[in-house]
Order: sequence, then structure tokens, then C-alpha cells
Amino acid sequence: MPQLRLQNILFCAAVLLLFASGCSKVDYAKIDDPAYLRVFNNLNYVVGLENKDEEVPFLTMLIDPEMDQSGMPVKAGIKGDFLDQREPYAPPYPSHVGSSISYKNPEYPGKENVLVGPVLNGFDLSSWAQIPSGKHRIVFMFRPVNNVPFFNLESRLKQKVLIDTTIMLDSKEVYTLHILQKNFLTKKNGIYLRKENFHKLSLSDSLVYVNFYNMSAKGFQESSNELKEANRKSGSLRYGIKDNMNIFQSLFTSEKTMLSPVYSSTYKFMGQLTRNSEVLEVSKYYSFPLFADPKSNGIYTNIWQRFDLMSIGMNPANNPYEPFLMNTDGNWAPINCMLDGKSALQGNDNGAQLPNMIINIHSGIHNPRSFATVNTIEIVNGNVYLTTIQRKYAPPIY
Amino acid sequence: MNTRKLITQALLLIPVFLLLVLQSCKHNDLEIEKENENFRLATDFIKNNYDMTLFYAAVEKVGLTDKLKENGPFTLLVPNDAAFRELGINRPSDFSKINQDSLKSLVERHILTRRLLFSDMPHNGVDVRYATLAGTEVYASMAGYAPGGEAFAVNDLYFNGSPVTRKDVPLANGTLHMLNKVMKYTPVMTIQAWLAARPKYSIFVAGLKKFGFWDQLATAGPFTVFAPENEGLKAEGITEASIAEMDVQKYRGTRLFGSYILPKTHFFLSDFEVFKVNNSQEFLARKIDNDTWFSFVSITKNFFTKVITGGVNLRTAPSYPNEVYGSAGADVPALSDHLFDNGVLHEVKGVLLRPEQALKN
Repeated sequence: MPQLRLQNILFCAAVLLLFASGCSKVDYAKIDDPAYLRVFNNLNYVVGLENKDEEVPFLTMLIDPEMDQSGMPVKAGIKGDFLDQREPYAPPYPSHVGSSISYKNPEYPGKENVLVGPVLNGFDLSSWAQIPSGKHRIVFMFRPVNNVPFFNLESRLKQKVLIDTTIMLDSKEVYTLHILQKNFLTKKNGIYLRKENFHKLSLSDSLVYVNFYNMSAKGFQESSNELKEANRKSGSLRYGIKDNMNIFQSLFTSEKTMLSPVYSSTYKFMGQLTRNSEVLEVSKYYSFPLFADPKSNGIYTNIWQRFDLMSIGMNPANNPYEPFLMNTDGNWAPINCMLDGKSALQGNDNGAQLPNMIINIHSGIHNPRSFATVNTIEIVNGNVYLTTIQRKYAPPIY
Repeated sequence: MNTRKLITQALLLIPVFLLLVLQSCKHNDLEIEKENENFRLATDFIKNNYDMTLFYAAVEKVGLTDKLKENGPFTLLVPNDAAFRELGINRPSDFSKINQDSLKSLVERHILTRRLLFSDMPHNGVDVRYATLAGTEVYASMAGYAPGGEAFAVNDLYFNGSPVTRKDVPLANGTLHMLNKVMKYTPVMTIQAWLAARPKYSIFVAGLKKFGFWDQLATAGPFTVFAPENEGLKAEGITEASIAEMDVQKYRGTRLFGSYILPKTHFFLSDFEVFKVNNSQEFLARKIDNDTWFSFVSITKNFFTKVITGGVNLRTAPSYPNEVYGSAGADVPALSDHLFDNGVLHEVKGVLLRPEQALKN
């Protein structure tokens, strides 16, 4: 008997819930014919004593803004606010959304709640924002470092324009937009819009791909090291590298040391890296096998990557510089892609730190399982950045 | 068994007894001091504060007492009495000796036409400008914390190089920050005109004229000038007569006199403290134009009083191995951080280089 009563009560509750919730039509936001855009603020200087009057590189991006008579923006089609200097690692998924409590956004869309890209040809584009394709006016404004939204700022703070230009975005294309210092001596800034092609290439999922850009400002490496104190430092890259460098790749399996290399992949010549902050072309993708280590089981691998950038004519097998030397006159700069990118090699190593390119994660019945990725390493003045793009992988089975 | 049960029950009663005993204590009415909800108007606040008597006297003298009772909001940057005494103003009557228009402008320059709380300032902002009642602007800078050092925030505030010793004092019609230094700004005057009007810098002026650094000080600049006074220069044997006899071709004028001027900069002494905190930049080694040597500026902040003093010397290279020459110190806070439309001037004692050290080989 009591069972029946309980059932009755539950039934009544369910009916009530149905009435209470009622019906409503949900309008989903949709952009027809989108282009996919990801924006990085590469102005990596710090305002210090030498450059006290330079603006703090903390920006607001306005796409299709409306200006009043005095040229002050009052409205914008798309706003990317609190755009901070980019972080060394741009992960393949928008991790900042869930894990950060700061109002600062290290990239666009980053933390912005906007429509993002789909999985395109297997590549997860959730770190790219959907922007209506076509011609857009794009304006980057300097803004003070506080959490007041741009349009709520006092009018005198809304007038410092960094760049005001137009860009053309084609439908269904993937773009990365960089704000760069173009000339170190004149401090001229500009933008660099790259139309990516990784989703159109026939890339194998058993190879890890990487391409390189040196988007440093003109005259950075050549300038006196005393003028570079305001720039963020990263190993021996801190004083810049020469305009033409060779890239050598090595793989290691030992944690935080270079004791156990993968012998087939040591000091392997990959190609040349030329400084370029003007010509908008995608660099060649180099690759190495995901399971290059013969001892790995084909599911998981612990290899990490090291890239030696050496000036033309030099070879890392015959390196004249000591491995602890920070000042190599721009001739040698190693980059370690190891662990989370925050732990350095044991001992004094002059390598710049980046996270491992290979994604190890619980997928299917394997925990962890290693996945190959497509990577971009960008060198801007004294610093280096890694952008990793991943494919979609099977969800974990517990 | 029975006894045990009894004891257990008795034990349970203990807290009840305790409660009863405590209850019987005498309860005085507990008086909690109520926070003052009726903040006073700016005028009343500074009138009633013993460390702001001179500033109040100045406000009264220039007839701003009624203005500061209005709704505002205002932000008062009030120098304490010690700051005025350092300038030679010891009692209210001393304000009568000052040109009344200048005094009015001075007071108005210490009042912002807005409520500026510390939290309104952009984080680690440097040279953020705010409008004053006089129609001028003050430069506000914040020494917040080094990147990643949020837990060890310094959060010091400076207005035109004057340290704030007490920030965010609430007023009914605004807020108040206490300074330990009077902000000095001479409107519509260049560094050149100011130096020319002061005989105690006549030797320095003569040197600048002789070696061709004088004319630039009338231009827009900006410049940071460390002006050595006559006394110190004479002690090292530099006089107007000796400068007149110098052969310009034989001396490195850039080192001898150019080193006192940092062109294209406007540094308050507090800026060095601000960047020490924000960027861990301990000093500035700035290459002298058309020379290989460096002007080296560093400062110290008194931990307790927040007073900032500093100095400049000459170095053959920014860091070791180098040779260090001379020393000119800005040791009196009242004499540093003179703001002009074309820069900042600090009065210093001491000499950077003796003429014989500046001889060309």
C-alpha cells in the first residue's frame, strides 16, 4: 500500500514539473559563412625604465567598430577585450575558459564566450572563433590594465590606437592573427595575418608535425643587448637569433636529462628558418614519427623534443658554445619541448622551455595513450611560443 | 553496574552545571565602538587633523574652504606638515610671504576633481594622468608587485614623485591621500628659465652654455636634469671663471656637463622605486649621447618613512668591469622632483667629473 502512495506522489510531481517547465523556443546563435580566427598579442616587452613612455601592451580588439566624430570607438561588431601578452603555450583546446580566474585573456577567443570553430578535417578548431567572412575593419586599442570593460572606460582612455587596418577573411578558412613589433629601433607595430593550411594537407596521424616562424622585429638581434632588458627572456633566445638559422632536431626519452637520446633522431637537420614578419606564407611542416623510440609499445611514448637553432655553417655536433652560455651572439638557441614546459633540464641549460608536443591522455582503454599533433613554433624577439593543434580522439573507457 | 550508570549520568550533568555557573556571571553591557558612518567633509577633516595644519592654513588662505565643502567629489593629496617645513614653511603666517596666485595654484594642484581610490588605479600603472582643480594633470604611479608576486604586493602610490604615506582616507565628499612631500610644478616654465632665474646654479648654467647643452633645455624635451649647485662645483675647483677659460675642443663636454641631463626621459625619483618593484630593475644605466660612458641613476627608499632619495654617478660601462666616477646626490626630498612642462629637475649636491678627468687625450 505505501508503495502505491509513493508512486502516486512521484507521478503528481512529474506532472507538476511538466507544467512548470512549459515549452520555449531556443534561438541558437549562428554565423553564416564563417571564417575562423585566432588572435595573439605578441608584443612581449615590459614597460621599464628605458621605455617608460611606451604603452603597456594590454589591448582591446575591435572588429567593425563605430567611431564618433572625435574618432573614439563607441560600438563594435566583435570585441575582444583584456587581450594580454600571449602565453608561451597555446594549447589545442580552449583551456583558459575553465581554469583561470584572471580577467586577462592570453589570446582571442581564449576565454571569450563566442561561437568557435568545428572539427574540420579531423582537427579540433575550438580555439578559433567564428567571424563572418568578408572584409572587416580591425582596430587594436591600448587599454589600461584593469578589469573595466573597454566601452565603460573614461573617454580619454579609449583613444590610444595601436593598429587600425582592414583584413579580408575568406569563408571556411582558418586564420591566425598576430600583433607584432615590426621594427625594434622605431618601435613600429603591425599585424600579421596568416591563412593556415594544416587542415588541407594530407597529414598522417602517426607523425608529429612542426613548422617554425621567426617573427622577430627587424633589428632586434643586431641591437645592443642592453636595449633588450625590457623583453621577456627565454634561454639563450633572449638576445634574439640571426635572420637565417638551421634547425636541428633531437629526441630524448630520459626525463629532464639528455642521457638517453633516440639515436636515429639526434641532430637531424630539418630545414632553414628565416626571419619574416612581412611575407604571409605558411612555413613547411617538418615531421618525425610519433613512435620514433624503438622501445615504445606503440601506444604510449615518453619522447621529448629538442630543437637546436644554429646559424648557417655551424653544426650542433661540433658546437663551440658551452651549454650554459646565455649569450651566443645569436648563433645558437636550443628549444626544449619537455613535460609541461616549466621544468628545466637538470644542470645549467640555456634552452628555452616549452611543453611536449605529444599529447598523452586517457583514450579508449589506454591510459595514457600518445597522440601526434600539428605544431607551430613561433619566435618573437627574445621569446618562443608553441601552438599545438590536435585531432579528435576517442573518449576514455573507464 | 548501577553505580557506573550513576556516574555516567553525573558526568553528563557537568556541562549543565558549568553552564549555570557561567550564566551567573555579571554581564556588563558590551559596548562596541560603532564605526563612524558620518564621514566629514574635506574641509572639516583637514581642519581637525593635527598633521595637516599647514595645508589647511593654505586652503584657508586661498579661500577654498567653501569649495571643499561642496559635493565634489574630490581627491585631496595632502602633504603633511613636515613636508611644508622642509620647504621652509613653518607656520601658517609664512604663506603670506608667497605670491597668492602661486599659492592658490599650488593648493589646487593637490586636489583632483574626482574620487580616486587606490583600487581605481590601473594595476602597476605608471604615469597615469589625472586632472586637478587647477586644470593641470598629476602623474600617478603605482609600485604594485613583480610579475607573479601577487602574494608580496607592495602597493605603494606616488603622485608626481611624492610618496603616499596613507592612502584611501574616506571623506564625505571624496577621498584623501597623505603625502610626505609637496608636489612642485612650475606652470608655463621651462627648465631653462627656472635654472636661469636661480643664482645658485650659475656655474652649472655657465657650463651648459659653454658646451652647447643650454639651448635644448628651452625645447619641449622632455629632459631629466640633475642640477648640481655652485657650492659643490666650487669645492671641486669648477667656477664660472674656470669654465670661461676652458677650451671646448680639449674637453669632453658630454661627460663634464652633458652627463647631468638625460634627454628624452622624465624620471621622478619614485619611478626608480616603482620599476624596482614592478620589474625588478634596480637602477638605470643610460648611455650619454655622443659618448661611450653611462649616467647611472639609483635610489633608496626609507622603509619606515617612505622618503625617497637618490643620486647619479658616471660609469665607463653599465656593469662590472667598469670604472665609477663622481657622485651627485639628491638627498633632500624637498629639492627633488621639480616638474616642468619639458621635464623633471632634481637639485643635487656633488660633482660627476672634474675637468681634468674630462680632458681628451
